[in-house]
Amino acid sequence: MRFIISLAFKNLMRYKRRTVITAVAIAVGLMMYIFVDSLLLGAEYESMRNLRWYETSSARIMHTDYREDRRLMPLDVSIEDPYSIISQLEQAGYKAAPRIMFAADLILHSEDFGEDGNMAAQVTAVDPNLDNSVFRFADTLVEGRFCEPGTNEVVIGSWFAEDIGAEPGYWITLVTRGNGGFYEAMDMQIVGIVDCPNPNVNRTLLMVPIDTISDYLAMEGNATEINIALPESEDSGKAVERIQDMIDPTGKSLVAVSWEELAHDYIALAEAKRGGTGMILFLVFIIAAVGISNTMLMAIFERIRELGMMRALGMNDRDIQWAFMVEAGGIGLLGSTAGVLLGVLMNLYLTVKGINFGRFMRDMDMGYRIQSSITGVWSLGTIVTAFFFGTILSMAVAYIPTRRALKMDIPSCLRHR
Amino acid sequence: MIQVQDVVRNYKAGETVVKALKGVSLEIADGEFLSIAGPSGSGKTTLLNLIGCIDSLDGGEITIDGVPVSRMDKHAKTEFRRNNLGFIFQTYNLIPVLSAYENVSFVLSILNVPEREIKERTMMILQEVGLTGMEDRRPDRLSGGQQQRIAIARALVKNPKIVLADEPTANLDSKTGEEILRLMQEMNRKYHTTFIFSTHDRMVMDYARRLVSLHDGQVTGDERREA
Repeated sequence: MRFIISLAFKNLMRYKRRTVITAVAIAVGLMMYIFVDSLLLGAEYESMRNLRWYETSSARIMHTDYREDRRLMPLDVSIEDPYSIISQLEQAGYKAAPRIMFAADLILHSEDFGEDGNMAAQVTAVDPNLDNSVFRFADTLVEGRFCEPGTNEVVIGSWFAEDIGAEPGYWITLVTRGNGGFYEAMDMQIVGIVDCPNPNVNRTLLMVPIDTISDYLAMEGNATEINIALPESEDSGKAVERIQDMIDPTGKSLVAVSWEELAHDYIALAEAKRGGTGMILFLVFIIAAVGISNTMLMAIFERIRELGMMRALGMNDRDIQWAFMVEAGGIGLLGSTAGVLLGVLMNLYLTVKGINFGRFMRDMDMGYRIQSSITGVWSLGTIVTAFFFGTILSMAVAYIPTRRALKMDIPSCLRHR
Repeated sequence: MIQVQDVVRNYKAGETVVKALKGVSLEIADGEFLSIAGPSGSGKTTLLNLIGCIDSLDGGEITIDGVPVSRMDKHAKTEFRRNNLGFIFQTYNLIPVLSAYENVSFVLSILNVPEREIKERTMMILQEVGLTGMEDRRPDRLSGGQQQRIAIARALVKNPKIVLADEPTANLDSKTGEEILRLMQEMNRKYHTTFIFSTHDRMVMDYARRLVSLHDGQVTGDERREA
């Protein structure tokens, strides 16, 4: 074995240029793998965080009948006396806030917007005193202020404001059907613009005070949902079970759901994307495999006579096979080490600085809940996998050409030119 | 003792079957210094390859010290070659990345000889072939004659019963060729190793103590002489 390793090392040193070129191909492949994986994982983690912080919260309580129809945002299946549930949750150590979600026609007036217009909108009625304890809008205000309880004030997402040309002080009218089916028109004044890291929220947010809306829509203090903030370390599934036991053990009238269920569509999309990127990474590895396979093919082809001599002198085919595989493994080890080092360096930049995709995110919806910068994530598993996979793959791809050369008879090997 | 009995070897060259050996029979005693002579295509290399267990025959039988080597499977032949045979090639076939010392010592490594013994035996054989002081040189820093000396050392270092040399001087000038032949003769006398070498060079034949002539795959002469 010592002779095999020594021979492999000397051959690597002899064909330096070839060794370096192949190792570089492997290194670039692995570096890209580490980089892309970190970027995607970072995008996924940040998306999930932004989902919880600005869209779904960690868990939500809703009326059992509301669960299936929640996309239609019905007002007649709501939570009665939400504040007593919130106080129960607070006693258990959870922060919670009520919300009423409803669909409305947004009417724009020419006095403020230059021309009249209308569009469909989704409105979020929040308790201004509690909402920021569950969601993270407090740091996202870029203009004006938050709406106050009991007022006809509205806070709007920055991209939405840009799209309709809204500014603080402008008036809008929301037309909708109240609880019971009557029509209601509400004049509201824009008092603030928020620019939050979740592009979905930025595109659509219209945030109004819940008490004002409750009066307008005859909700009688009910809420369509209670959003709950769970500590980051807490398992949302177990917490939801605990909350369910607390609010309605039978689940007949109220149901608690985790953010994973609320973001089911996103999670399914993320998984599909992971599969797609897996294919890209597989292609990166195929390119590296073809590179090293070609190098080893050339190396073996050039040394067929040497191989014939070793066989004639009584060296086992298995040992010769190992000699070439160790040589390929050496290239793989070199490439993997360089690839991991480069990948770690690139990842260092990615985790500290991130990459700003703001321009792309503004104009297209990729499904990720990220508005501008994506920062990387350290994944020891990826780095270790890349290192070992690069080395082992290199050895594996040397197997077939060596095997083919060993199938030649010895006189043919010795005659080979 | 090597016994070659009615050996037949055919090769396929496209649709045609080339009869390389047509029933060759030969007996070679231990310690002989024998040359197989003949023009190109006469079957010299084929016969050497068959005796050296690196090729398979189509008819007849070869036994070495009573062992029917021609009937052995691939693994048994490999083991037999490893333990009993030494090879010297026309183009030396040294491993270019290894030093003279390593080119010789690796033969002992694959025989699992202890490291200390490898060193002793390698240094001794390199001294015998006149390469003392050149142990660390790689083949590309040695002349053709010196490279062939390494090949001889490599063939002899494991004390084989038989050394097979296919046109060992064909790539050398006549003076160096004669030096190599004298070295082979000396080794043959000293170690009583059987040397069988092929050639079509008259000068080389003159060194042989026995000259077997081949023509068109058949033995046409078998002459014993004083070298």
